[in-house]
Amino acid sequence: MEAIERIRDKARELLESQAVECVIGYERATDNVGARPLFAYEPGEVARFIFDQTCHHNLTRYLRDKKDRTVAVVAKPCDSRAINMLINEKQLERERVFIIGVVCPGMVEVGWSRPSQELQPLCRYCRQHTPVVYDFLAGEPPAEEPEPSPPYPDVAEMEGRSVAERRAFWSQHFERCIRCYACRQACPGCYCTECFVDRLDPLWVGIRIAPGENEMWNTIRAYHLAGRCIDCGSCQQVCPVNIPLMLLNRKLGKEVEELFDFQAGLDAETLPPLVTFKKEEKLEADL
Amino acid sequence: MSQFMSGEDLRSWLGNLAQERTLIAPIRSDGLVLFGAVSRAEEIALDYDNTLLSPKGHLFPATDTLFTIERREGGIELVPASVEGEAAIFGIRPCDALGLRVLDRPFLAEPADALYQQRRARTALIGLSCHKASPECFCTSLGTGPDDPSNVDILLTGAGEGYIVQAVTERGKALLATAPLVEAEVTPPPAPSPTPVPTEDIAEVARRAFDVPYWARLADRCIHCNLCAYVCPVCYCFDIRDHSYMGRMERMRTWESCQSPGFSRIAGGYEPRDTKGARLRQRFYHKLLYMPEQFGVIGCTGCGRCVTSCPVNIDIREVISEMQRLGASSAS
Repeated sequence: MEAIERIRDKARELLESQAVECVIGYERATDNVGARPLFAYEPGEVARFIFDQTCHHNLTRYLRDKKDRTVAVVAKPCDSRAINMLINEKQLERERVFIIGVVCPGMVEVGWSRPSQELQPLCRYCRQHTPVVYDFLAGEPPAEEPEPSPPYPDVAEMEGRSVAERRAFWSQHFERCIRCYACRQACPGCYCTECFVDRLDPLWVGIRIAPGENEMWNTIRAYHLAGRCIDCGSCQQVCPVNIPLMLLNRKLGKEVEELFDFQAGLDAETLPPLVTFKKEEKLEADL
Repeated sequence: MSQFMSGEDLRSWLGNLAQERTLIAPIRSDGLVLFGAVSRAEEIALDYDNTLLSPKGHLFPATDTLFTIERREGGIELVPASVEGEAAIFGIRPCDALGLRVLDRPFLAEPADALYQQRRARTALIGLSCHKASPECFCTSLGTGPDDPSNVDILLTGAGEGYIVQAVTERGKALLATAPLVEAEVTPPPAPSPTPVPTEDIAEVARRAFDVPYWARLADRCIHCNLCAYVCPVCYCFDIRDHSYMGRMERMRTWESCQSPGFSRIAGGYEPRDTKGARLRQRFYHKLLYMPEQFGVIGCTGCGRCVTSCPVNIDIREVISEMQRLGASSAS
């Protein structure tokens, strides 16, 4: 049976038995090319579900809006890591979410009304093609998970540039930022009830939509995701001015992986290194 | 006979214009087309559908200093911001020109917004007719069209190897005084036809579609970023804050949006629009009901930018059609 048939059948069963209030999945967008999130509350709506390589949205972002309800969510492997991250950070109760895992072929770079067969760069570096946590799996897992080598070619390329080149690269990108906060709003990890950028007292970042403030905003947000980013790329996908935000997130992810042998969300139990403190740890820096 | 300018002459005329006033024009960089100040005509992109952001930011900037207060010789002085020099926006599409006409209603109504008023008076608009209708375009459903000259000073329409030039206003005629125009027998290509959207009686319909479950369901997928408002040629909400530093105080405003969490929160913490549905509905009701009621204009020009940029495909064309259905059915 096709993965989409299995998703629809499971969704119908969950709604008919009232095991969940709604099923969050994907349907075709109004350009007839891309996908958009669909919240199905009635069994009659499940026929609208689709799943293909245009379904890039990380739907686990919506779990915080349904915190006190039991819902089902369609989760790709990277999305499933977000669920572990949220459980780990006490933002989600495992029993309140039914995870319809999907084996992921990688997402393509579709734009509005613009079909594409081109795999998203991020998906080329992906190391999980099967969700790390699920209640039900649609699709056949590959016999072996691929291990790209090295896992951070994009970051390595950037590290090879001079400080001045990197400075110029990021200045040019941040200058375009319009501070629409689509990156934050699309991110499953950005769940703070009051974001530092919205705080008035203390005022961390001014409200100017201008290079200095834009840089502060994007840099601090990246640091808040250090060791927590699950590599879904939603922030970059939604950015209207094409800021390569994942390059920042992946740089920090690479540091955390190299220092602590940790990748966010692979399980729900291991505490992320940057949210824990051990007495015996000491800083071995040359101060 | 029409007034005509070759593509080469257009560039040289624009190049001269850029010497005498600030010239804002579409520029292609990093795969995006954005309006920006140009100093040489070669920087200008001519082969674009529309810019990623509307030109509103050149009259209502994303960040604007309203005034500063400075210590001077033992006293303090309030220094209001002012606008200097003349400007022109080249390449504005008819939908965006209508957008400025709509923005005039809130910003120029007494008491007029001083900065907007000064910029508007000093900015000439050189429009460029649309050569195609993108799938998201629906300007003809909102009282304008791909070759509508009514909201610009000059309208250029691509034809053959150049442009048919219409001087629409006195300001436009003055700007063209030095332009290398020729009389030519040129037929403009037929104007493209955007797909219509049912905007008839939308304000009336909106009154009947307010209290329906549709808004909560639609808002389920809204992630409440500010993207739709920031790309919109009409959305004009802003936030104001004071910043003080080293004895100097600055009052500034920046773009804000009704979709942003906390936008409508008032003193004491009360949140009049406390659900996702109420927040999202506000965006459409401000455009389709409150602006018609208050100013007599619809707060949408059919440019389609929110349609293409929404990360979760909240499509105003679909919303308008759905409102027609809901407004009709609850009336019967």
